[in-house]
Amino acid sequence: MTETTEAKPRKLIPISQPISVLPSDIARLYTHLHPIIILTVYYFCFPYLVADPVSVLFKALAPLAHLQITYCVVCLPQSSGGSTPSPTSSKGPTTRKRVQFAQSAKSKPTSVGSRITPAIISLLLCLSLSAPLLTVILILFGAPLTTHFWHNLLCATHISLLGVLPLFYVHGVNARMWREISGACLPFDEVWGGLVGAVVGAWLGAVPIPLDWDREWQKWPVTIVTGTYLGWFVFRFAGEYFLRGKRIEFD
Amino acid sequence: MARTSPENREPVFTPIAQNGPATASSKYKDITSQFNDSKDRGRPDSDIQTINRRKEIQFKASHFLLIGFFLWIFLLHAIGIYFFTKGFLLTRLVLDYKSECTAPPFDLGKQSPRTYTDGCWHPKTFDKAVIIIIDALRYDFTVPFSGIPHHFHNALTVLDETARQSPGNAFLLPFIADPPTSTLQRLKGLTTGTLPTFIDIGSNFAGTAIEEDNLLGQLRNAGKTLVHLGDDTWHSLFPGYFDANLTHAYDSFNVWDLFTVDNGVTEHLIPLLSTENTGKWDVLFGHYLGVDHAGHRYGPDHPATNSKLREMDDVLRKVITLMDDKTLLVVMGDHGMDVKGDHGGESDDEVEAALWLYSKKGVFGRGHNGKMEPPPTAKERPVGQIDLVPTLSLLLGMPIPFNNLGAPIAEAFVGPGKPDWQRLASVNALAGAQISRYQHEYSRSRGLAESIFSLPQGYWADGLQSWKEAVQHKERGDLYATAFEKFSQYQQETLRICRGLWATFNIPSMLEGIFILASAVGVVAVFARSSGPSTAEVVPVYLSHMTVLGAIGGASVLLIATILPGMVAKDTSLLGLAAGGIGGFGWVFLELQKGFSLPFPRSLWGWLAVVFTLSQSIGFASNSYTIWEDEIMLCFLGTFAFVAFAASIRQEFFIERILGMSQAAAFFVLSRLASLSRLCREEQMPYCRSTYYASTNSSTSAPWQLLIPLITAILLPVVIKTYYQGTRSYQGSATLWVGFALRMGLLGSAIFWVLDAADDNEWLKMSQGSLKMIKIVLARLLLGSAFVVGTTTFVYGNPCINVEVTPEANADTNDGVVTKPKSVKVFGYANVHGTRYFLLVTNWLLAIFLLQKPMGGGAIGILAVQILALLEIIDTNDLSQTAIGPVVLGLLGSFHFFKTGHQATLSSIQWESAFVALRTVTYPWSPLLVVLNTFGAQILTTVAVPLIALWKQPPKKPRLLSDVAKALATLLLYYAVINLATTMWAGWLRRHLMLYRIFSPRFMTAAAVLITVDLVGILVAIGSLRWNFASIAEVFGWS
Repeated sequence: MTETTEAKPRKLIPISQPISVLPSDIARLYTHLHPIIILTVYYFCFPYLVADPVSVLFKALAPLAHLQITYCVVCLPQSSGGSTPSPTSSKGPTTRKRVQFAQSAKSKPTSVGSRITPAIISLLLCLSLSAPLLTVILILFGAPLTTHFWHNLLCATHISLLGVLPLFYVHGVNARMWREISGACLPFDEVWGGLVGAVVGAWLGAVPIPLDWDREWQKWPVTIVTGTYLGWFVFRFAGEYFLRGKRIEFD
Repeated sequence: MARTSPENREPVFTPIAQNGPATASSKYKDITSQFNDSKDRGRPDSDIQTINRRKEIQFKASHFLLIGFFLWIFLLHAIGIYFFTKGFLLTRLVLDYKSECTAPPFDLGKQSPRTYTDGCWHPKTFDKAVIIIIDALRYDFTVPFSGIPHHFHNALTVLDETARQSPGNAFLLPFIADPPTSTLQRLKGLTTGTLPTFIDIGSNFAGTAIEEDNLLGQLRNAGKTLVHLGDDTWHSLFPGYFDANLTHAYDSFNVWDLFTVDNGVTEHLIPLLSTENTGKWDVLFGHYLGVDHAGHRYGPDHPATNSKLREMDDVLRKVITLMDDKTLLVVMGDHGMDVKGDHGGESDDEVEAALWLYSKKGVFGRGHNGKMEPPPTAKERPVGQIDLVPTLSLLLGMPIPFNNLGAPIAEAFVGPGKPDWQRLASVNALAGAQISRYQHEYSRSRGLAESIFSLPQGYWADGLQSWKEAVQHKERGDLYATAFEKFSQYQQETLRICRGLWATFNIPSMLEGIFILASAVGVVAVFARSSGPSTAEVVPVYLSHMTVLGAIGGASVLLIATILPGMVAKDTSLLGLAAGGIGGFGWVFLELQKGFSLPFPRSLWGWLAVVFTLSQSIGFASNSYTIWEDEIMLCFLGTFAFVAFAASIRQEFFIERILGMSQAAAFFVLSRLASLSRLCREEQMPYCRSTYYASTNSSTSAPWQLLIPLITAILLPVVIKTYYQGTRSYQGSATLWVGFALRMGLLGSAIFWVLDAADDNEWLKMSQGSLKMIKIVLARLLLGSAFVVGTTTFVYGNPCINVEVTPEANADTNDGVVTKPKSVKVFGYANVHGTRYFLLVTNWLLAIFLLQKPMGGGAIGILAVQILALLEIIDTNDLSQTAIGPVVLGLLGSFHFFKTGHQATLSSIQWESAFVALRTVTYPWSPLLVVLNTFGAQILTTVAVPLIALWKQPPKKPRLLSDVAKALATLLLYYAVINLATTMWAGWLRRHLMLYRIFSPRFMTAAAVLITVDLVGILVAIGSLRWNFASIAEVFGWS
């Protein structure tokens, strides 16, 4: 068969831009402090987590959500599109340049009060949408189907609070953006890096489970949660400083 | 690779209309002429025919050469595995000779009564014997301990007590087991007197029954009544040996149960010892499992072990009081246990068992070494477990079994008081002479040089010399002592050499094998993954160089081996052959280097394939990752589906995006669904629950499981049809084969399994014989339609297309009469190669489906849908040139191997599948059926691998054959890397505790899979392309 000139590109051309932290000193300070605080707290909670995963994971939800909301409000530019999906997003992707996400917020930080509401909405979206979806994905990857329901749900909730909550905050529920997110074609920045890190970390967290070391911490889902936190921590910084602007390419 | 946009990949293809009437003679003539290359257009028909003819010959030649090249790869794999196995798998030839009562190997003159009543080779001491095995009775359980005692200390005291108080009645000795220390292997050693190796080359196909000469066989020959109580392993080793009325066997499987077996043994043992019952039996075997199970469950240092040992103590005291003085009592452990209470390996704790002999006659002694008391530790004065066989044989007046390598235990023959050197020398002479007989026969059968036994033969000659002198000088007792020494030395030295032959790894041979396998991986990697000229161009060069150099290499080594027989063995010429072949490939590759790129991954997909293969390979170094391989496969398949889903979202065209996303999601869900079918291996306990059969300790299906094949039979043809309809390919052969034959075949298989369950559970009021016959006829019918009818359909069938020709017509329009040109429509054009080739996959699917148990049938059905989903993912994301497609197929094969109720252990082989279509074992069909059952998943994925390159490709795409060859080579590469890794780890960990349980079976599985996949890939996948291409070329012309 002869080649035909292709009228349209076959693959999605991403228009998303890397997110920058708000240009205030407190934002720059807290964005570095935040992961360190979370990991330190995690480190001290670890023995209790090993002893009783379900109750510790559950009790940690509120503080974690609180810290993540604080982080969003203090450091991140909020979505300009809000909750209205862009009507033109599916029409001409190549012609539109959607840089206003980062731009608009960067220009003038809004008041703290007006930023808390979207952060709360992001939290609700994250709990109601991404946590159940991630639970299903965990089970598909081989998590226990019948026996560890709460373990799975709480593990998925932690992954989504860490990785997905800030994405809701900065990208809203814009359909085009979420297609790029689920197609994994966002450019690296600290928010996207955090999600990639949480997913990669959770995947690697499964590695020590089968080993016959007979350690208490090998039990489900301690290693997965630990991998999530460590991966999130590492890739957050890597995404911001080493990989910034780069995108994951499949081909 | 340039790809046409989806608009051009419409399922219906309309070639440019051509003038001229359509001839009825050739249905496809119109399109044939359309599809010839543009440069050929306008030439006369005869020219086109000539060109087509030339292209056909070209295709057939490259196809033929390709098969030759793949055969070379198969040869390299086979040679590599052969050399590694030769050095690694310790094998022993089982000789079928039996010792005769009337033919002692050593002439003792009048001292040999040669009758069963007085004793065969040596006068007998006892008429009857009670032989009690306390499984896992470690030596330190039986001797007093003065420090801070563990739970296992000082609980079983009767043995030491009697041996100390009345040395003439009893003795207690450390009893060293030869690894592997699993009960089955140990019982073989304890009854044949030889060293069981991992594989004993015998003449039986599946059974575990001992066929070589053994103590029980000799006893049965002599007309003794044997009774067995306890562990049912004895019955698989000695079927039909025991008196059916008195024998009571118990399941040895349930290690959590400490009491059923033991209580059963004691309950039946005690009454048999009473005076009114002693006449009913001659030799009584009791096998207690409680101590072993307590060890497995709690470990030795636990109160449960203590109470089990105390219970044994009570039982033995009772037995002693009940025994008469014609009876010999033997108590022994078949192996020990490690600190965790497990066994199987070769650590000191596992091999140091205890042996205690007792009789009321007072015939035992200690005199020969001056030590009266039982050794305080197992390191002093140990005897081998193989020594039991000659000891018992001579005490009971039996001939020593032919294959025995042990020596009579001195304490049993030395006599009380002053040592009886003459008696010791004569029993050792008998044992030694039998070993000498055996050693000659073994050397002869295996072609061993007699020279390797020259050292022990020297001892033997010395011993004979002393013996002769002792006979002449009756007054000099010390000469008998010398003869005894020499005969013992002869036995020990021969045993050492035999151990060397059977238990020493041949490292150079293993390294040769690994080197060849590694080079073969390199060859396949370069061939499969370096982009460059098409295989049609390079294969002839490779093939000629490999063949010529290989022939030179092999022939020259063979010549050296013939001229200098001592220097190299003949099979070294295979090494020359392999080296020549690899050298030839390397030579060509270096010459053509510029045309190639090195085989490194160039995209995330390529890296994913590499990560899957390598991480799995590295994982095989750990017993945990080997044990949990099934779960790891699920995680990898999920990862692929996850990434494929994300990649599909990036598709700009809506249809492709939805297709890719839905197929990835389906693939993901189906993997998890299939993972619900599990057959756990022992080591996965207690974190795994088997679902493959009705319950964890049954091997039959539950009634509800019979629905699974039925549901599969209803759904699968419908699902396959939807994949065909996507490209309007549900035409021609597909309607008949998928719509009717496959559906009926699957239904037939479902019925077969219902009948099988009816047979097992006696649901039908019908004689067993007629039900069996119906089953076998049905199974043969189904296999016949899969292979005979199916292959015929595949070879002679038309492509799954439909051609509609609209003749030239005049149509009245507003502008007047317009002549509408003749038009030709081809339905199913977009996937001509794929849909036709998939029919072959369904043939194999049908056969493999029949041979799986109901649960496995469901897994195979899921596998078929997953293959189709994978093909759609590969197509929509344009991945047919990357390694990911074949590697994921390989992962699917490995995954569904577990999902069809298999594990990488010898015990999980479903031997009964040989009898699905056969009444008795028939070569070669029975092994083939077992292979189809065991490696069904891998075979099905291998048959499907050409589809990676063929699915939805245009009929005359250039280099299509080359693409298929590379896809198959990539799949072989995956299995070859897995095989190389397991081979290397098994060799490296050859002293590991888990070698026999985990690493060695995994290596054997990988090697068997590689050989199977090689053969199926060459003979079926590549071989059948000829008919597929020819059938499509008949319509569209040769490319």
